[in-house]
Amino acid sequence: MIIIGERINGMFKDIGDALRNKDAKPLQHWALKQEEGGAHYLDVNSGPAVPKEERPEAYEWMVKIIQEVSNLPLCLDSTNYDAIEAGLKHLKRPGMINSVPAERDKIERVFPMAVQYNASLIGLTMDKVGIPKDAENRIVFAMELVAAADEFGLPTDELYIDPLILPCNVAQEHAPEVLEAIRMVKTLSNPAPKTVLGLSNVSQKSPDRHLINRTYLAMAMAAGLDAAIMDANDDDLVDVAATGQILLNKSIYADSYLKVFRQR
Amino acid sequence: MALTGLEIYKQLPKKNCGECGTPTCLAFAMALASGKGSLDACPYVTNEAREALDSASAPPIKAIKFGNGSILGDETVLFRHDKTFYHPTTLLIEIADTLSDEEVQAKLQEIEGLEFDRVGLHYTIDGVAVVEASGSPEQFAKVVAQVAAGTERSLLLLSDNADALKAALPGVASRKPLIGSATEANYEAVVNLAKEHNVPVIIKAEGLDALAALVENAQKLGHKEFVLDPGTRTPSQTLANLTHCRRLAIKKKFRPFGYPVIAFTSKTEPLAEITEASVYVAKYASAIVLKASAKAHILPLMALRQNLYTDPQKPIQVEPILHTVGEVNENSPIYITTNFSLTYYSVEGEVEASKIPSYILPIDTDGTSVLTAYAAGKFEPEKIADILAKSGVGDKVNHRNLIIPGYVAVISGKLQEISGWKVIVGPRESSGIVSFTRAM
Repeated sequence: MIIIGERINGMFKDIGDALRNKDAKPLQHWALKQEEGGAHYLDVNSGPAVPKEERPEAYEWMVKIIQEVSNLPLCLDSTNYDAIEAGLKHLKRPGMINSVPAERDKIERVFPMAVQYNASLIGLTMDKVGIPKDAENRIVFAMELVAAADEFGLPTDELYIDPLILPCNVAQEHAPEVLEAIRMVKTLSNPAPKTVLGLSNVSQKSPDRHLINRTYLAMAMAAGLDAAIMDANDDDLVDVAATGQILLNKSIYADSYLKVFRQR
Repeated sequence: MALTGLEIYKQLPKKNCGECGTPTCLAFAMALASGKGSLDACPYVTNEAREALDSASAPPIKAIKFGNGSILGDETVLFRHDKTFYHPTTLLIEIADTLSDEEVQAKLQEIEGLEFDRVGLHYTIDGVAVVEASGSPEQFAKVVAQVAAGTERSLLLLSDNADALKAALPGVASRKPLIGSATEANYEAVVNLAKEHNVPVIIKAEGLDALAALVENAQKLGHKEFVLDPGTRTPSQTLANLTHCRRLAIKKKFRPFGYPVIAFTSKTEPLAEITEASVYVAKYASAIVLKASAKAHILPLMALRQNLYTDPQKPIQVEPILHTVGEVNENSPIYITTNFSLTYYSVEGEVEASKIPSYILPIDTDGTSVLTAYAAGKFEPEKIADILAKSGVGDKVNHRNLIIPGYVAVISGKLQEISGWKVIVGPRESSGIVSFTRAM
C-alpha cells in the first residue's frame, strides 16, 4: 500500500501563506512530519495560492526546498502541465504526475512527459463531460488511459488509475461503484495498472471524517487499491493501511507489523 | 487465464463502427474482457486475430506426454510457494550409440537399478536418452532397438540428423518416444516425421530469439507437440534461458514459449554435473538429460526433485512407523509424538541431543501438530494405544513406560488405562527433553 501524503497543498492555510511569502519552513516541516507518519510519496500542490503564470517557478521552488530535507519521491499535483514539467526537471528520483483525465489533448501532452521523465502517472476516469456514475463507464475511461500508456510507451504498471471517489454525504451511490471499478481495473492489461484514490474526498464535510476515511480505505484495499493520497499523520488510518497489507498477504506478518510498515 | 482488455483491443480492427453494438472498439474489448460479449459480433475481425485471441486463453504451458507416463510442462507458477509445481522433472540417462552391445547392456542394467525406497517413498529414473554420436543412421537405429528391448522406461531419441531419426523412430513409434532435435537446418523434415508418427519433438535453436522464430515456423507445419531447447550448454546461460522461458510463458503469455523446456548438463565430472542438474530441477526444467548414472550420484538429485515438487499447502509428514535414535536397547525410552514433520524433527533433534538411544513413535495425524491433532480428535488415547500395540515396540523393551507431550497431559490417565503402559507426561516443549531425561 503506497501512501501519498496530502498535506503539502496550498488549500491549507499554512502552506498557502508559505507559498505567498516564499517561506520554506512549513513545507519542510510537513515533508518531514509526513515521512515520519508513514508516507511513501509526498503530494505537492500549490493550489490557487500562486497565480497561474508564476506556477512553473513555484513548483520548481517547492521541489527544491522539499528535497533539501526529505528523500521521499514527489507526486506533482497540478492541472498546469507547464508547472508539473518545471518540477519534474528538478526531481532527484522518479516521481509521479497527478493527474491526467481521459481527454485526448491532455493525454498527448502528459503521457510523453511521464515517459521522458521516468515518472508514474495518475489517470482520472473522467473527461470534459465529468465523472460517470457507474463502474462500467469509469472503466471505459480507464481503458482509454491504458491504451494510451501502450501507445506512448508508458509501462502499464506505472499508470495509476484514479476512479474518483466523491463525498459520501452528497454522492453516496458512487462509493460502491468506485470499489467495483478498482476490481475491474485489474482486468485491463498485463501487468495491470495500479489504482489510487484521493481518499479524503470520501468524507468531505462529514462528521467522523477519520472513521469514514479508514473504513473506506480498508474496503478499497480489499478491492485491490494500490495507493492513496491521504493524511499520512492520521495514525489510525496508517494502522489500517498496515493491517490491510497483512490481511491481504502482501507483507509477511510479524507481531511488530505496525512499526515495520512505517519503517519502509 | 482471462484475456486483458488491452490484449483484446490490440487485435481488434479499431474502426469504431459500432456494428458490434458497442460504440467503440475499446468498449467492445472491455465487454469481451469481462465476458459480456462474443467476438463473433465484430464483422471485421481477422482470422489471425481470432486465432490469437483463442490461443491466448489456452493454459500458459502446454502439457506434453510421452513414453511411459512422462508428463512435461503444464506448470502455472514461477515460485512453488505461490501454488505448487505439478509435474516432477523427467530425468533421463544418456546412452551413446557409439557404445558396444555389451556396454549398452551394462548401462541398461545400471539404469534399471536406479530405483530407491526412502522415507516411505519410491523413486525411479524416468527414461533413457539414446544419443546419436556415430554419424551412422543404421547404428543409431540398432542401438535404439536394443535400448527399447532392454527397458520399459520412456525413450528420447536424440540426433540432429533427420535421416538417423527416420531410421530409428518407426521401430519404436508405438512407445511414443520424444524425438529431437528439430533445428534451423532440418526442422521441416524432423517436425513432419514427428507429426507422421504422432510423437512430441524438441525444437532446438541457439538463444531465445532464434528459438521463438523457429517455434513459430514449426507451428506452421501443423504439429503442436513441442519441447524447447534454447541451445546453450553453460549453467549460467541455461539458468537464464529457463527463467526467461517460464516467465514469458506465464507472465506475458508469450505463445512460442508456451511449451516445456528440456535441459542438458554440460559438466563431465559427476558431482559437478549433479550440482548443475540440481539447479535445473529447481529452476523450471521439465526434463534433464544426464550423463551420470551411478546410484550415489542420482539419489540426491531424486530426493531434491521429490522435495521441490511436494505441495507446500499440504503439511509434510514423516512415515508413521517406529523410529529409532541411536543404538537402541531394551532400556530405551519411548516418545510419542505426531507425524507432522516439523513436530517430529523438533522432537528427534532434542532426543538426539539427550544422548540417550530412544524410540520415537509418530502417530499418523494427517501431518498435523500435537495440539492441532488433539483439537481435531486425531490424537486420541484409543488410537495411540492401538498404534503402540501394532508397532511391536513392547517386544523390544523390558519396561512399560511411555513419554507423551506435556501439552496433552490430559490424555495420560485414559491412555494408561487403555494401553496398560505407564504414561509419563513429558515437557510441553521438546526443548525441555534434554533436562527432562537427566531428571528421569
